[in-house]
Amino acid sequence: MQQPIQIEDEIQFLDAKRVKIERNQSEELTVELPDGSTHAPVEPVRAFPLTHLTQYISLLDADQNEIGMIEDIKQLKKADRKVLEEELRKCYFMPKITKVHSLEGRFGVTHWEVDTSRGAAYFDLRSRFDIVSLEGGRVLIKDVDGNRYEIPNYHRLDANSVALLETQI
Amino acid sequence: MNSMGRGFSRRDVRRMAHSSGKRNSAKRLEEEMTILEQVPPDLQSRLKDVLSQQEEIKVAISTDLQFDGTYGKDWVLVTEKRLIAFNRNGAPTPEVQNIPLEDVESIEIRELHGNNIMKVRTQAGAVEVARYSKRFAPKFAEATPEIESLIDKVKPEALDESKRHRKYVASGKKIRCETCGSPIPRRSDVCPNCVEKGKLIFRLLKYALPFWRVSAPAVLIMMVVRLVDLYPAVLSKQLIDDIFVPATQAITNGQQPEPGAFGQLVLIVLLMVGVNVFTMVASAIRGYMMAWVGQNITLKLRNDAYQHLSVLSLDFYEQRDTGNLMSRITQDVGRLRDFISEGLQNIIGDSMALIYMCIIMFAINWQLALWALIPIPLLIFFTIFFGQKMHKVFHVLWKHYAGISTILASTIPGVRVVKAFTREKYEVGRFRNLTDLIFEGEMNAAKLWTVYHPIMRFIIFFGMIMIWLVGGRQILNDQLTIGGLTLFTNFMMRFFMPVQTLCRMNERFLRAATSAERVFEILDTPPSVADSKDAIDLPDIRGAVEFRDVVFSYDSEKNALNGINFTVKPGEMIGLVGHSGAGKSTLINLITRFYDPQHGEVFIDGHDTRDVKVSTLRKQIGVVLQDPFLFEGTVADNIGYGKPDATRKEIIAAAKAANAHDFIVKFPDGYDTKVGERGSRVSGGERQRISIARAILKNPRILILDEATSSVDTETESRIQEALGRLIQGRTVFAIAHRLSTLKHSNRLIILEEGKVDEIGTHEELIAKGGTYAGLCEKQMELSKIRAL
Ligand SMILES: Nc1ncnc2c1ncn2[C@@H]1O[C@H](COP(=O)(O)OP(=O)(O)OP(=O)(O)O)[C@@H](O)[C@H]1O
Ligand SMILES: [Mg+2]
Repeated sequence: MQQPIQIEDEIQFLDAKRVKIERNQSEELTVELPDGSTHAPVEPVRAFPLTHLTQYISLLDADQNEIGMIEDIKQLKKADRKVLEEELRKCYFMPKITKVHSLEGRFGVTHWEVDTSRGAAYFDLRSRFDIVSLEGGRVLIKDVDGNRYEIPNYHRLDANSVALLETQI
Repeated sequence: MNSMGRGFSRRDVRRMAHSSGKRNSAKRLEEEMTILEQVPPDLQSRLKDVLSQQEEIKVAISTDLQFDGTYGKDWVLVTEKRLIAFNRNGAPTPEVQNIPLEDVESIEIRELHGNNIMKVRTQAGAVEVARYSKRFAPKFAEATPEIESLIDKVKPEALDESKRHRKYVASGKKIRCETCGSPIPRRSDVCPNCVEKGKLIFRLLKYALPFWRVSAPAVLIMMVVRLVDLYPAVLSKQLIDDIFVPATQAITNGQQPEPGAFGQLVLIVLLMVGVNVFTMVASAIRGYMMAWVGQNITLKLRNDAYQHLSVLSLDFYEQRDTGNLMSRITQDVGRLRDFISEGLQNIIGDSMALIYMCIIMFAINWQLALWALIPIPLLIFFTIFFGQKMHKVFHVLWKHYAGISTILASTIPGVRVVKAFTREKYEVGRFRNLTDLIFEGEMNAAKLWTVYHPIMRFIIFFGMIMIWLVGGRQILNDQLTIGGLTLFTNFMMRFFMPVQTLCRMNERFLRAATSAERVFEILDTPPSVADSKDAIDLPDIRGAVEFRDVVFSYDSEKNALNGINFTVKPGEMIGLVGHSGAGKSTLINLITRFYDPQHGEVFIDGHDTRDVKVSTLRKQIGVVLQDPFLFEGTVADNIGYGKPDATRKEIIAAAKAANAHDFIVKFPDGYDTKVGERGSRVSGGERQRISIARAILKNPRILILDEATSSVDTETESRIQEALGRLIQGRTVFAIAHRLSTLKHSNRLIILEEGKVDEIGTHEELIAKGGTYAGLCEKQMELSKIRAL
């Protein structure tokens, strides 16, 4: 009797050691696959942008077709890895909130003034549904414009910030 | 414009915002949102070196991010001749990129997560000129076509048309409030600033106001009751001072008590009985009156909320979960009723009681009254202190309770999936986790209570000690009577409750305000698809439909429809074809006006759909949605849903047309069969046919069938088609289907591809053209050949 195929066989990760990732003079990512084909510009997309930042990176070509997937950035060669990480940092801008200065709210609409890992910022939220609190005190925030912010563990913030946050989560 | 606002750092920005709050951020945004901003002086001096004499700045836009990924202001400036980018990149003086417009091949915007990047492509390659957060995306989207038109002037028709950006039109929704200027969060149309007309509580009182004829007397009764309630205490003072003490004195002196003493005693006791009977009866009457008021308020508020909920557009529902909305209509409304009918009255009553007591005490002996009040600050302090702790505990608890209703609201309807994937344990586990948390929260609350009460009792005890001590000394000094002392101790006990209630007033107001907020959020959200003031009744239509340059996005991140143009003649049958996710359902959602396009217009018989009353539009359109929803009720109820006065005959005729009649009569209960919640007791194909019948019964001029026959076998389908073929005479029909044979009766086909019209024409034309549709047909033919083998 024939064994059903293992579902994992459906994805074939790229052989990271044989992939070549560079940046061309147009500041675009070029990727050379093990089969010798070259693609540019390539856009890296995180399959789990909220939970696994360095794993399962899908590489899309200009037509948004997947040319392959990298299981873990760590498998890449050093130089390639650096280029890819740099590009990911550019593609995913999600500052970490380090301090909440003030938080005014009415009708679930809140105006925040915060410090982040990328500097001071302010933003507005439409409703409490834009704040997602996950396990371990992790908090994800999406503002009205579609910008995202993260608090890795809100318990670690200063007492004032925690007090302000706890009114919302 | 103020020049000071230009050169400041992020930190200044923040400080400014701190000092003057929200409005400032609105203003700040407004200044930053034009595409010709004022260039700060330090950059202007640097520009002098770059620009020639008469060069004029046409576009000046600042960013809010720098290329090193920190917040900060960089600049893009465009003149008739060149594009200049200032990128600070962390360094104090910005780096300058000077790109002659002649060299520019295209402007590209990379839409990334949480930020965008503007690139300029020249022969030599592309350079990144600006990085900005999504907040500035509209500004850059507005500036890009402007820059392109400047390039056009330098070198006409050199830009690649396909890479050109369409003229940016601010999305249909208001970004800023027209009255106060503060930003309106994107997904809402309510200005949070203006919605707060009058405090919540006052708005709430408005609901109570119509019943003032009942509630005002009720308040009055309460005030009297609270006063009369104190009378027995005063009476017992009299009893002691005027009867018992003289009598005992007389007895110790070996004399007879006064002869009328017993009569007086009886009189006072009778008075006490009378007072108690009175308060009892009055309280009962008041209780009934207030219950009546409370229930009336609930009735009105609940109906208003549900009525408004039904008016709200789909996007409101998409952003909120069912459990949450349900709890607003059930629990929050109930809480508001309790607040208005009981909470508020108690606050009034308790304050009155305190005032009465103070007056009496001060009248009897003001020194002792002052002493007696000493524990009050302590009472207040501890009550507030515990109140705050409680508030936190309750907030957490409330969240968990809401979590429970969310779980229930999703797993009970989804029970089939839960069972199919044997996830019962998991769901029970999730539920149990929450109930564990609730247990914990309730125990935390209990802990607080158990500490709170002894402390309170101790404070009261402390007050009693004071009275015994100070009052006792006054008795010894003949400054106070024994009856006076009993009255004070009596009042001390009575102080406890009202003070407690009043201290919790804040918390009560807060809780009521939260509930009010949640209910009023529903009431205040205007439907995003609403009749305009001068909307007209749509006259009986013939069924012409036109889309003119329609752009629509569900989430303002990605366009689901991107510039749709087509015209449909009355009576035409149009087949909509396209990949899954191409935007077919979205397109028909705009015809029925479930949503309004952000840009462009939809015309029906030459009327812009936004100019006619939604109800008169939808009345003339029959829809079978992609996932047909049946309501709890009988088959006949469901078919007749859109036409409440439908006769049995019409219902059967509609069912026949939808080829549903045959299976319906085979049900033991026929047309009276209950379909179950969401139609769970009939099969998928049956559900589809019932909903086709429902749509047909309305006798609509425009009929929309979104995958209406996808779940029935081909034979049934062709029979439905046959019946429909007769029915669709003279009606405009939009049919969506992946199975292309379904569309064989279509006059024309529209092929959608990623939100754009890819091809349009008759079957023969499109086959002859050999494009996307021809390819699709070929594939399906092959498939059917294989099947035929
Ligand atoms: N309510 C919604 N909110 C946000 N995005 C949505 C919503 N409905 C649809 N979309 C998105 O809009 C795009 C077009 O969806 P649409 O439902 O129109 O596709 P369709 O052509 O009907 O596909 P199918 O053939 O699978 O029914 C898809 O990318 C989809 O993810
Ligand atoms: Mg669809």
